[in-house]
Amino acid sequence: MNLLESIRVALEGIQANKLRSFLTTLGIVIGIAAVIAVVAIGQGGQAVLMAEMEKVGTNIFFVSVDWNDESSHKGFSAGDVQVLKDRLPGITHLSANSSNTDNVRGPKKKKYCTVQGVSSDYSFISKMTMKEGRFFSSGDDGLGRRVAVLDEALADEIFGRADPVGNMVSIGSTPFLVIGLVAKGESIFGFSENVNAYIPGKTWRNIYGSYISNLQGSAVSKEKVQETMEQAVKVLERRHPGVQYTSQSMEQIKQSAGKITGIMTLVISAIAGISLFVGGIGVMNIMLVSVTERTREIGIRKALGARRKDILVQFLIESVVLSVLGGIIGMAVGIGGAFIIAKVAKWPPLVSWWTALLAFAFSACIGVIFGLLPANKAAKMDPIEALRRD
Amino acid sequence: MIQVSRLVKIYSAGEIQVVALQDVSLEIAAGEFVSVMGPSGSGKSTLMNILGCLDTPTSGSYKLDGVEISSLDDTGMAKARNLKIGFVFQNFNLLPRMTALRNVEIPMLYAGIDAKERVKRATAMLERVGLAGRINHRPSQLSGGQVQRVAIARALVNEPAVLLTDEPTGNLDTTSGEEILAIFQDLNRNGATIVLVTHERDIALHTSRIIHFRDGRLVDDEKVDSPLDAVEQLKKQRTVPAALSEGTRFAQTGEGDAR
Ligand SMILES: Nc1ncnc2c1ncn2[C@@H]1O[C@H](COP(=O)(O)OP(=O)(O)O)[C@@H](O)[C@H]1O
Ligand SMILES: [Mg+2]
Repeated sequence: MNLLESIRVALEGIQANKLRSFLTTLGIVIGIAAVIAVVAIGQGGQAVLMAEMEKVGTNIFFVSVDWNDESSHKGFSAGDVQVLKDRLPGITHLSANSSNTDNVRGPKKKKYCTVQGVSSDYSFISKMTMKEGRFFSSGDDGLGRRVAVLDEALADEIFGRADPVGNMVSIGSTPFLVIGLVAKGESIFGFSENVNAYIPGKTWRNIYGSYISNLQGSAVSKEKVQETMEQAVKVLERRHPGVQYTSQSMEQIKQSAGKITGIMTLVISAIAGISLFVGGIGVMNIMLVSVTERTREIGIRKALGARRKDILVQFLIESVVLSVLGGIIGMAVGIGGAFIIAKVAKWPPLVSWWTALLAFAFSACIGVIFGLLPANKAAKMDPIEALRRD
Repeated sequence: MIQVSRLVKIYSAGEIQVVALQDVSLEIAAGEFVSVMGPSGSGKSTLMNILGCLDTPTSGSYKLDGVEISSLDDTGMAKARNLKIGFVFQNFNLLPRMTALRNVEIPMLYAGIDAKERVKRATAMLERVGLAGRINHRPSQLSGGQVQRVAIARALVNEPAVLLTDEPTGNLDTTSGEEILAIFQDLNRNGATIVLVTHERDIALHTSRIIHFRDGRLVDDEKVDSPLDAVEQLKKQRTVPAALSEGTRFAQTGEGDAR
């Protein structure tokens, strides 16, 4: 018996039991839908994350003190930034960063937010766009001037309608002159926007009496990052004997983030895979019922010349058709679901053709694997025994 | 055509053993129309199932068309059932979801005949048994006699060496039964070898040879000098079988209507 005929017989069987067939395939529908949706959402999310990190800049690096070290607070000195910039031509910009949370009070209201003490290079490194005014200069930093740059969202909140630039805010109990506003970045990620106050590093250290927590720099190129930050660590280790430093590039962070999202996608897919397995057992169950119900049909077919192989193939194809139908419905549901979730999360749904192909192949495999036992049972039937049954 | 020697069939269900066939030997030549007669439980169906390669004997030899059947494997048996044997059952055994045409196509499916040829041959065969207008009907939309004619078309479609039929009229009224017998007689006149099982002498008398069974033994081999002609019988009942009338429709004879 040829394939087309077997498929026709299978479809007739499925049509005769529409509801039962649908319920049977439900497990596969859910499994395939879940796998496709999860992979699509995972890949979409990963792509967005990567794009976001690309935007931050892949030639950026961080140097911080190993947290296990007792002498962490002695890790950096105010002079390090200039020394590193002078010695290492690979560094284009470098900022010594510290951060704290404090009340920032404007004429309208106050806000408890992050106060960052940074160098003047910070605005370049973190690709800030000024909406108004300017970022502070190295002179402001060197003299420890009480000038502040606010994120637009923060300024809006504490100033209301009043114009912030040229006006005063108090950070903690210290008055500061607002000299610039940082424009809101458009974030496709949908992350909450930044609400920070930036003040010169030296001013920050004067007020909070604390230390530089890390250095953030940008290298001349993506290729030079690794080399440059390793050199920076060496220079720092010579300047501060006994302190241990760790360095990390945006590229490394990007790679590990990619790995993590990849693993997450894999884990969730594996869980969805269990649903596929359960779906497969459902198919096997219904196929066994079908074989029993159609014992007489099997007997008739054998009496008319069907070989074991013909019966085996017929039932296998029926099980594959059932599973693949489930797979196709699941694919539609999964792709639809991925699009909806992506729309809500505002990132592109990445339904790759290989996921769809894999899902299709996988559902066919389920059909074969879980159809084998029932089909074999059917094929082995003795024609005369089968004909006697009713 | 059929050579059976010392055939024994023993059914054993646990402790109990039933001897369904005891030392049966017989020969049926090509072109014969033979009936196997005997009371219920005498082993007629058991013999037919063995002849039809549906069942295997406990011992003994069965040669069909010169081939020893016990030497065949599953594929060989399937091939014999497909190409050498046409089987017509008492309870028809059509596939209920399929049309008459599709039912008749089944043996050709397993013979590897392509779709176009299948439809052509199935249609011709259904026309031959008088069902030209019914090819797309399902069994549930046909009368018992019509269903049995579909089954006959199905049995014949691969041009088997022998037509085996086990109580083919058992589930039919007298007229329909007579029509079926008329088809068999017509086929036989055209050279078909037919073995028919029945427990009714009236039916057996339509064949030219009656083999009598009792308790699993062949007890008598009777020659019928002038078999009953089914068409004549039908005329007595004032009907003519559709298969043998000119039209494809079931035709009543004119005299019948005119009283
Ligand atoms: N599958 C079976 N298992 C056990 N005994 C059987 C089986 N089939 C038939 N028999 C027995 O074998 C004998 C012959 O049966 P069968 O060939 O069907 O008779 P017939 O067709 O002449 O009525 C009977 O006694 C019957 O009970
Ligand atoms: Mg019987």
